[in-house]
Amino acid sequence: MRTPNRALVLCALALGACKQPSTDQAQQPSGGSTAATAPSGSEILIGATLPLTGSEARIGGFYKEGYDLAFEEANQNGGVSVGGKKMQVRLTLLDDTSTQATAASLADRLINSDKVQFLLGTYSSHLVEAQSVVAEQNHVPYVNGGGGAKEIYKRGFKYLFGLLAPVQLLSTALMEWIDSQQQAGKVPKPAKIAVLWENTAHGKDFRSGVSDFGDKHKDGYQVAVDESFELNGKDFSALLGKVKSAGVDLFLADAHLPDYITMQRQYVTLGLCHKVQSYGARGSEKQAAEALGAEHVRYILSAVWWNAQLGTQGITKKFVDAFKAKQKRDPEWYQAVAYETARALFLGIEKAATLDRDKVRDALAALDVESILPGGKLQFKQEDGQQAIYPFVVQQNQPDGSSPIVWPKESAKSSGSPNPGCK
Amino acid sequence: MGQVTDLAVSAILLAGLYATMAYGLGLIYGVLRIVNLNHGGMIMAGAYAGWWLHAQFGIDPYLSLIPVSALAFVVGVVIYRLLVRRLPRGAAGGVQSLLLLFGVWLVLRNAAYLLFSGNDQTIRTSYSTRAVSLAGAFLSVNRLAVFALALLVLLALHLLLTRTYLGKAIRAVAQNPDSCTLVGVPVERIYALTFGLGTALAALAGLLAATLFSFNPDFGATELLKSFVVVVLGGLGSVAGTAVAALILAAVEVFAILALPSYLTAAVGFVLLVLVLVVRPGGLFGQRVLG
Repeated sequence: MRTPNRALVLCALALGACKQPSTDQAQQPSGGSTAATAPSGSEILIGATLPLTGSEARIGGFYKEGYDLAFEEANQNGGVSVGGKKMQVRLTLLDDTSTQATAASLADRLINSDKVQFLLGTYSSHLVEAQSVVAEQNHVPYVNGGGGAKEIYKRGFKYLFGLLAPVQLLSTALMEWIDSQQQAGKVPKPAKIAVLWENTAHGKDFRSGVSDFGDKHKDGYQVAVDESFELNGKDFSALLGKVKSAGVDLFLADAHLPDYITMQRQYVTLGLCHKVQSYGARGSEKQAAEALGAEHVRYILSAVWWNAQLGTQGITKKFVDAFKAKQKRDPEWYQAVAYETARALFLGIEKAATLDRDKVRDALAALDVESILPGGKLQFKQEDGQQAIYPFVVQQNQPDGSSPIVWPKESAKSSGSPNPGCK
Repeated sequence: MGQVTDLAVSAILLAGLYATMAYGLGLIYGVLRIVNLNHGGMIMAGAYAGWWLHAQFGIDPYLSLIPVSALAFVVGVVIYRLLVRRLPRGAAGGVQSLLLLFGVWLVLRNAAYLLFSGNDQTIRTSYSTRAVSLAGAFLSVNRLAVFALALLVLLALHLLLTRTYLGKAIRAVAQNPDSCTLVGVPVERIYALTFGLGTALAALAGLLAATLFSFNPDFGATELLKSFVVVVLGGLGSVAGTAVAALILAAVEVFAILALPSYLTAAVGFVLLVLVLVVRPGGLFGQRVLG
């Protein structure tokens, strides 16, 4: 029998040829002139990773759009002012493939090999959680717009700054809208709740937001199903069967986009229908309507960190207009938060008036600036673990395909309603 | 229907998919004694092939089953001729075959990233979310179709292995390849055809799974693990055992939700795998030869 050595060598070569682009080709310097890695005197080097492939690839692409716009804008204005001197900013962006280990090792590479001065964060809580450890160990300011789980900010990290308000506030905002509907007699009292949450820090925060609200309004709500599920799951039929048997009024799940699409498809085929249905921050995505059919995403509620409908004036309008001019479509919360994340770092550098990492960290910690985020203000308070706190906006898919803001009242474009087609 | 009945129906329908996923792996191991790690890659490739035909030409995924399986059969034969036949057989070739076929899987996965990006894809047809009502329960049309096709594949495979010359030759080669050579059975050709058949079954399972779930280039890894569990539970090389093992795995996973958090239910199958390997290493249905 022949030896397999030749075949194995061929295979290894083929593997090497295919594998290489997943890291190196994803290196996309943005807002600068060349792909050189050594910093020049007139440039600020900023590193970041995003999930440009893997399960979160689509959202990683959205974040990239936000980063790109912020860098382009800054450079078009002459750069970021450092002690009176304008310096161009350059982003070295790598693909973390939606995996924790890669996100952490690429952060290490950016700091120690590519010699970036500051880091912007990746997307999704579990990746930020892993990556922020590397930034903290190297004393590099790490500003992220992708980690909303409160747990990440409870570790006492000094160099970690987060622009996503805690996920717990997300479910609280949903419950506040539901409560307003209950008071108007449109939702049964008491209402039985099914709370399904992905088994991550994000999901746990979502769950505690719902259960805390339920505990404070014991006469109005009763959690009948409280189940966690595996991230990137495939078959939710048994879980949904449990929800069906419980006969609940409110279906509140916390899921990332792929799980939302998979679960909603199985939800529909099982003939489930609830007066109030939510997948946390997911619901209004065009991809979901395309994958499921517009008729199957009607009346789904989602609570998000930002909505283009907020962009009627000031810097928010300026951002919306700039994004639309570049991408020919409205921005979603992903791009807005990414844009604001990069802008926050630039503002921190300007306030510090130096590229010294510790001084930039201190400037970020003391930041108090106008923001495009709901509430109009951005701060990283120490008592909140340097995680920005601001209200969520609740939106609801309508039969005409729109998703107007329904909560809070002062920003609402519509009052919204429970699904009239469900008993 | 009560919750238990609902869960039982879910388990039976899920078993159909698990069995289809495992047939190919079991067949190749039963005859060639090779663990085909590229099984996961072909599951992913089958899903993408069906999706591409539907997205580009509007071909219904169920109509794509035959051309996709046929193409996968050819791919399987080519992989065998170019790579697998160069490996030593039996225990001597174990590590080499694992590495080689794992490498082929990685090549396929990276090719999918290059061609289709890492975005999740779904096959959406007019009946994707359609369900039929039966005694108050809603049953997904897609799940019923996948289950029916799984039964059909089981029957076809059984008939092929027991009623045709090719099937008898496959079983004979599985039992004793050296004796087959002596009596004039073209062993190398049987190996190539078996590898092609197993690969075609993997692609077919991938396409069926794509009608139910979203997928990306990483698709196939979990499916490969579940296929392992089914094949080991059923007894390596046993086709009927594979079907029964698929039902056991699906039932254990689905009913586990009554006692465990949902995120732990997938692990129950692997606990079962470890238990079977310790208590009955030959599988629940013994070490049988194909058929």
